[in-house]
Amino acid sequence: MQKQYDIAILGGGPGGYVAAIRAGQLGFKTVVIEKANLGGICLNWGCIPTKSLLKNAELYDSIKNHGADFGITAKELTFDFNKIIRRSRNISDRISKNVEFLIKKNKVDRIRGFGKFKSKNELEIFDEKGTKIDSVKAGKIIIATGAHSKTIPAIPVDFKNIITSKEAMILPEQPEELIVIGAGAIGIEFAYFYAILGTKVTVIEMLDHILPIEDEEISKELEKSFKKRKIDILTKATVNKAVLKGRKVEVTVSVNGETKKLTADKVLCAIGVTGNVEGYGLDKLGAEIYKNSIKVNKETYETNVHGIYAIGDVIGPPWLAHVASHEGIRCVEGIKGLKNKPIDYNNIPGCTYCQPQVASVGFTERKAREAGYDVKIGKFPYMASGKAFAVGEREGFVKLIFDAKYNELLGAHIIGAEATELIAEVVMARELEATAESIMKTVHAHPTLAETIMEASAQALGEAIHI
Amino acid sequence: MEIVMPKMGESVNEGTIIKWYKKIGDKVKRDEVIFEISTDKVDTEIPSPATGTITDIKVNEGDTVEVGTVVAVLETNGEAGPGKKEGSTTGIQKSSEVASIDENVDAEKQAAAANGILEVAMPKMGESVMEGTVIKWFKKVGDKIDRDEPLFEISTDKVDTEVPSPVAGTVAEILVAEQETVDVGTIVVKIAAEGGTEVQQSSPQETVRQVEEQAAAAVSMHDNFSGARLGIKQENVKSNRFYSPLVLNISQKENISFAELENILGTGLNGRVSKKDILSYIEKRKAGKVKVPAQKQAVAQTYTPSESAVIPVSGEVEKIPMDNIRLKIMEHMVASRDTSVHVTSMVEVDMTKIDNFIRENKDEYFNRDGVKLTYMAFVADACVKALKAYPLVNSSIEGTTIIRKKYINIGIAVAVEPTGLIVPNIKSADQRNITGLAAAISDLAYRARNKKLTPDDISGGTFTITNFGVFGTVFGLPIINQPEVAILGVGAAIKRPVVVEVDGTDAITIRPIMALTLSHDHRLIDGMLGSLFLKYVKETLENFNPISV
Repeated sequence: MQKQYDIAILGGGPGGYVAAIRAGQLGFKTVVIEKANLGGICLNWGCIPTKSLLKNAELYDSIKNHGADFGITAKELTFDFNKIIRRSRNISDRISKNVEFLIKKNKVDRIRGFGKFKSKNELEIFDEKGTKIDSVKAGKIIIATGAHSKTIPAIPVDFKNIITSKEAMILPEQPEELIVIGAGAIGIEFAYFYAILGTKVTVIEMLDHILPIEDEEISKELEKSFKKRKIDILTKATVNKAVLKGRKVEVTVSVNGETKKLTADKVLCAIGVTGNVEGYGLDKLGAEIYKNSIKVNKETYETNVHGIYAIGDVIGPPWLAHVASHEGIRCVEGIKGLKNKPIDYNNIPGCTYCQPQVASVGFTERKAREAGYDVKIGKFPYMASGKAFAVGEREGFVKLIFDAKYNELLGAHIIGAEATELIAEVVMARELEATAESIMKTVHAHPTLAETIMEASAQALGEAIHI
Repeated sequence: MEIVMPKMGESVNEGTIIKWYKKIGDKVKRDEVIFEISTDKVDTEIPSPATGTITDIKVNEGDTVEVGTVVAVLETNGEAGPGKKEGSTTGIQKSSEVASIDENVDAEKQAAAANGILEVAMPKMGESVMEGTVIKWFKKVGDKIDRDEPLFEISTDKVDTEVPSPVAGTVAEILVAEQETVDVGTIVVKIAAEGGTEVQQSSPQETVRQVEEQAAAAVSMHDNFSGARLGIKQENVKSNRFYSPLVLNISQKENISFAELENILGTGLNGRVSKKDILSYIEKRKAGKVKVPAQKQAVAQTYTPSESAVIPVSGEVEKIPMDNIRLKIMEHMVASRDTSVHVTSMVEVDMTKIDNFIRENKDEYFNRDGVKLTYMAFVADACVKALKAYPLVNSSIEGTTIIRKKYINIGIAVAVEPTGLIVPNIKSADQRNITGLAAAISDLAYRARNKKLTPDDISGGTFTITNFGVFGTVFGLPIINQPEVAILGVGAAIKRPVVVEVDGTDAITIRPIMALTLSHDHRLIDGMLGSLFLKYVKETLENFNPISV
């Protein structure tokens, strides 16, 4: 007999599975439908496996390039590329199994298959071959189908030589040359990973700087650092075409009116992602779609179709796993009737895990000025931090943007070791409406890198101690 | 030594010197009153911290200065006073952490202590705590004691705590017995430090700093964040709400009074006022869409007209400037009238049973417990019971939220001649029986009339009783004591002929009849609830059972 659920969730990524667990906790009879392993891109083909790969690169980088500073040298330092890839895959598999367990623990049903809308209350599930294997009815359906790598005709992805991030993390062998098109977080992380392992990497970015959404000072600092690591960077550069020439790819780029031809074994197309809005009968429902994203009310996450909700990458930027999870929780709690403060989309941390790491939240200096704020900047370099000195991480700085009128923390930008961990404090500070004074007066443990945040706040008030 | 304007409560930041009892050159004894101050909370007399001669008076009568300002200088004839013996005083031990970090300094102090007899004073357990009771001595005279070993246990109205010995040595003399209550700063014990004979006295402020810090932390964690430290100007920083540093910064920059802040509806987590909320409030205020809360408006109303309006006079007049208390009463009354929608109901209560009980038992109670039985204790008791039955009457209104208090602190209006009126309250009145209430009422009245009230006494009330019956008034329409929502007026019990039913027959008899009037805030308490409350009080009093005393 056809099963009836309170909530059915289409997609088991960080949006879908978290929503499912929360729904289970709140007592909803819930099913999550996912064609592959639970955890989505994040756990299987994104956040987690790349962090695993990057750790290899960091370790190798530390020993090879800085080992001598610490008195550690190796006569012959080698690595096994395939083992690096295998380690990454194992980690994804392990965590995905843990998620399956969590789903079960919270009494959520799990159907492996591809779900399609039959009506607004009914989903049919198909296997890989397209055979219908199941169908469920549900009072509410949450779409959490995620996104996939965006492609453009000029860069014809063949998944072998012209690849997306998914292929980049399971290459059978290390490429000698790699061209990365797009200098967002994904492009930059792969550029760092492969460059450290010895691949000749060129990064092509259309906008003025790499990590173009970050504060300009941060981008410039990272450019300096990357250039030191012999990564070629072409900014304000447009890719005209990429064509396969024998076993190599030739990329034609326009930079400042000049046309250049570059060749590489592999070309990584990392120009962004786009919502998964096709192939599962969304058109039948009449759900409103705008620029490949489902339109929702950003407090309830309900679409224009009553009873149909959408969360995560499929509703558009900022395309981040942590946002999808929070949207999932709020969506389900809203269905339960619990009151929530809506997500503050201007207080979402963004992280890039190259070395030095980059993390930020809130306004960049430019955006704050454009928004009409009279800004006060607090900066503190890692160079002046005792802890950074002790651990040999003197590259980077903290930059805090305050509103000069009320000393509100408008934005925070960190480049340097552990930046992605340090950012949590500032996000919390913003969430709880801290001011420059209150951050400065919060006792930070010594010696820690976190002291740089306290000092940067003090610096904004002209009261920094160590600078 | 310098004598400073004392801090008379968490939120009191300044005080006015009303009267100097001493002039320059006068000799004063320790604890002798040297001046009287008035703050917006309470008037009080300030005793001298030490024996000596007044060498300078820096603030004139009538002047208002900030807390901490030096008001006079006392030459102490070499006797130790606060601040003077910083280096040599033995009792200074801020905390064990400090002691361990700063071992050298501490060792020096101990060496100094080794030569003397140290006097340990009753510690000050919070800003507004003026006295403490020794509950238990852990040591007796002749006992050896280690530094930091508990010496005695004290109880104050804020906290109970153990006081550790500031020094290792032998207990030389115990000056205060168990259960005895003494003023803060009174010497309670003398300790002969190891191997010493020279007499030293620890300055009370310093001896007690350690415990005081703990107590302060325990008493008011919340105040750390409530804005006072961030420099925000507030009439009253006691609040149950959390304000983010940003909200406090904005309110300061935009001149949002604390009363206004308290009335802003919060949309954040658990109703917290967010940046968005306060900014939208400011927008609305600019657009004139917000009524600035009554408290603030009242100030404007009370002060401006009296300055500008010309009063026609047709004979000789005397112009008397209002004192602080009068100004405050004026302000509070106008604010209350503008805040609450006053509705008053009345019942007549037959006080026969209580009257008989008091007449028969008052001597016994007075001789046995030292308690004077009055109608007020019975009325207070009936109110406590009625408040339990109708807890909405024990509430406040905060914006559009009802704050229903789960504690009952009954305010008792006390006329204080010649200044006016003050309303101290009986804390946790629901924990007291009639005898306990009677004792509390007479204690509060005594202390109110003798300027011994503390800020604690007059804050935190939840319901007020005003007894105009003592002056013979039969009934009156009282004004609510904000932020409460009801006040009970007690009229005089007068013997009147009334119709009673005796064995099924109506008869006219003489009974003591007392009118009770309840003024309640119609915003929250409608006529039915007000009447039910009064009925409950009436029935409790009329059906009084002596066993309940």
